Amino acid sequence: MAQDHTPRPILVELRDVHLSFGAAEVLKGIDLTVAKGDAVSIIGPSGSGKSTILRCINGLAQPHTGRITVAGTRVDTLRTEAERIALRKRVGIVFQQYNLFPHLTVLENITLAPTRILKVPRAEAEALARDLLARVRLADKVSAYPGELSGGQQQRVAIARALAMRPELVLFDEVTSALDPEMVGEVLAVIRELVRDGLTSILVTHEMRFAEEISDTIAFTENGRIVAQAPPAELFYRSGNPRIRQFIGGFQGYRDAVQHREGI
Amino acid sequence: MIDEALQRFIALAGRVGLHYDFLLSGSEVRQWAAGMGTTLLLVVLAIPLSLAAGIAFAAALTSGRPWLALPVRAYVELTRNTPTLVQLMFAFFALNMLLSRALGGAAHNPFTPFFWVVAVTGLHIAAFHAEALRGGIEAVPAPLVEAAQATGFSAFEILRFVTLPLALRTALPALMNNLVNLVKLTTIGSAIAVGEVTYASIMIWTQRDNVLELMIVILLFFGLINLTVSRIGHFVERRLAIPGYGV
Amino acid sequence: MSAAALPARGALRAAWPWLALAAGSGLFWSFLDARLTRDLLDWLPYLASGFVMNVLISVLAMALGTLGGVVLGAMELSNARVVRAPAVAYVQLFRNAPHLVLIFATTYIFPFEIVVAGSYLPFPDWLKAVLGLAVPACAYVAEIVRGAILSVPTSQWDAARGSGLSRGQTLRWIILPQCLRRALPPWMNLYASITMSTALASLVGVHELLHAATDASTAVRRDDFTIAVYLTVLAAFFLFCFPISRLTRRLERRFAPR
Repeated sequence: MAQDHTPRPILVELRDVHLSFGAAEVLKGIDLTVAKGDAVSIIGPSGSGKSTILRCINGLAQPHTGRITVAGTRVDTLRTEAERIALRKRVGIVFQQYNLFPHLTVLENITLAPTRILKVPRAEAEALARDLLARVRLADKVSAYPGELSGGQQQRVAIARALAMRPELVLFDEVTSALDPEMVGEVLAVIRELVRDGLTSILVTHEMRFAEEISDTIAFTENGRIVAQAPPAELFYRSGNPRIRQFIGGFQGYRDAVQHREGI
Repeated sequence: MIDEALQRFIALAGRVGLHYDFLLSGSEVRQWAAGMGTTLLLVVLAIPLSLAAGIAFAAALTSGRPWLALPVRAYVELTRNTPTLVQLMFAFFALNMLLSRALGGAAHNPFTPFFWVVAVTGLHIAAFHAEALRGGIEAVPAPLVEAAQATGFSAFEILRFVTLPLALRTALPALMNNLVNLVKLTTIGSAIAVGEVTYASIMIWTQRDNVLELMIVILLFFGLINLTVSRIGHFVERRLAIPGYGV
Repeated sequence: MSAAALPARGALRAAWPWLALAAGSGLFWSFLDARLTRDLLDWLPYLASGFVMNVLISVLAMALGTLGGVVLGAMELSNARVVRAPAVAYVQLFRNAPHLVLIFATTYIFPFEIVVAGSYLPFPDWLKAVLGLAVPACAYVAEIVRGAILSVPTSQWDAARGSGLSRGQTLRWIILPQCLRRALPPWMNLYASITMSTALASLVGVHELLHAATDASTAVRRDDFTIAVYLTVLAAFFLFCFPISRLTRRLERRFAPR
């Protein structure tokens, strides 16, 4: 979490972004600003368009109207695949379902893109990969195949794979939703450390406590709009919006119930 | 020593009514061995051609570009639904003739019957490879392709590093089956006087009337080639097996 | 049978643009060169009589192959080694054998006439070609049958045996009906493949389509005619086999385990 309040350069900016899939309007005017070094969490009920926002930012989805700027690049006006590829080299993404390449070892998964796309020399790419694996605490899994790892381990490899491209921004799309509860902690710990080290990131998450702890800003989406964007303390405890209070309250209530049952 | 073993084999076969005396005739043995050599050469050239063209066709079929996919689709359907022998006749008597004429006479035409057999059988089986690989490529889960896109891979790089390696594994049994068929297909070369093993055998049995004796050896010969091909296939399958990834 | 009629209509619908394309280009061509068209039309009955032979050989070879293959496939699943081993050996040997070699084998090994009850019956080459293709067809059908039988869950066997049916009765009344659905698509594929292999019979002198085309080409001795007549042969096989393969793919998708 950034403590100083000197203005930092804006890395990501969305202005009035609209997107429909057929008749269904998924995004109805999204405004979002992310400064360099910030961690921004997007929370809100499912189906409110959270993941679609991330897909727009790295050009996997094309908005119909509105402006998206990522590190000086106008994403919404990209027309050719080559331009989108240039963008994606600079924006990493980690998916809910890990999506590691099953036929490659952990090391190959991480070095494939740097060596093939960025033309980084193999030795250098492997050194970086080993560093990253150490950071996600999987140094001993270098030559394992994804099928031999647990979900939590696969997800940490996926994070290392995204970081290997030295991206200016990493998008985390519900990265703990597919994990068994006992593996959520190990993945969140890795992300927490990265954010503390100054990684610019946008996270779509259902982990309220985690979002509150690591985010500089939290955006609350509902029905394709961002209805509030504020620092966690403000949004969680001082929001006047009854829907937000209800949503967060629901999670808090659920957490309290779980903790009560487990005797914590 | 070898001669002695040969004599004993001929005597033994003679006792069950099979006449392998021709094995003592140097010229016929040389002709037959040359035929086997030609068959092996056809196989060794046509297999890589079929695989390379099959991969290219599969790439075209899954490219999402109609101008690329439609002509290949038409070729695949045409070649799968017409006899290879007719394709060979058409290629040799029609295409080759047109080529000769364009090049100013048959003497200037570098394309031999041998070339046409390799090309026609290899490209015929390529169509079957393409269908198997297309199935494998389309079976790769969409999120995995998206992950590759999100990393910044181009469509070609995704094919090269992600979908094709996975498709090769799922399609491997079908590809091996196609290769066994390819080995068998090379016999149609005899129709345009390519001296492969069938053709060489015809030359021998028209002199000797020993069809059954030659047949037995030819069938064993093809059985051996196909056994080798499938052994290599199993070896490749084991080498490509991914730990923890069930196919 | 509505289950089969539906995909058949679908196959026709999917095939019709291809047919239209073929017919269209043929028509275009005939306007281009009237003499070529006339020659081709002159030879068409002769070519057609050749194609009838292809169809005849394929139907008979497939009928024999199916009869033999069902027996072999059942033998392959027998518990008795003496029954199983020869069937497995047969299938292994003839699945790997080139069709052309087998056609040569039956043509040259069998006599040109056979004695039945004291009278000489001719044994024509086309009938030998039928046998030459029936030999590998048996092996393929055996594999199809074996695969289809094995695809039926063993619990079905147990249930049938439990209600007092013998092994044979279980096969006949319980397993085979279920197998048919599984076996039909690959069996149709095999038929198309055998049909295409009938062209090989031309090499042992059987008067079929490819042989007729070669006759026509050597009689007319004109390059454009040679090209046209071989294209006609390709078109004939395509128009016969393509609908079968479309229908097969539809059935495959329809019967695919969900």
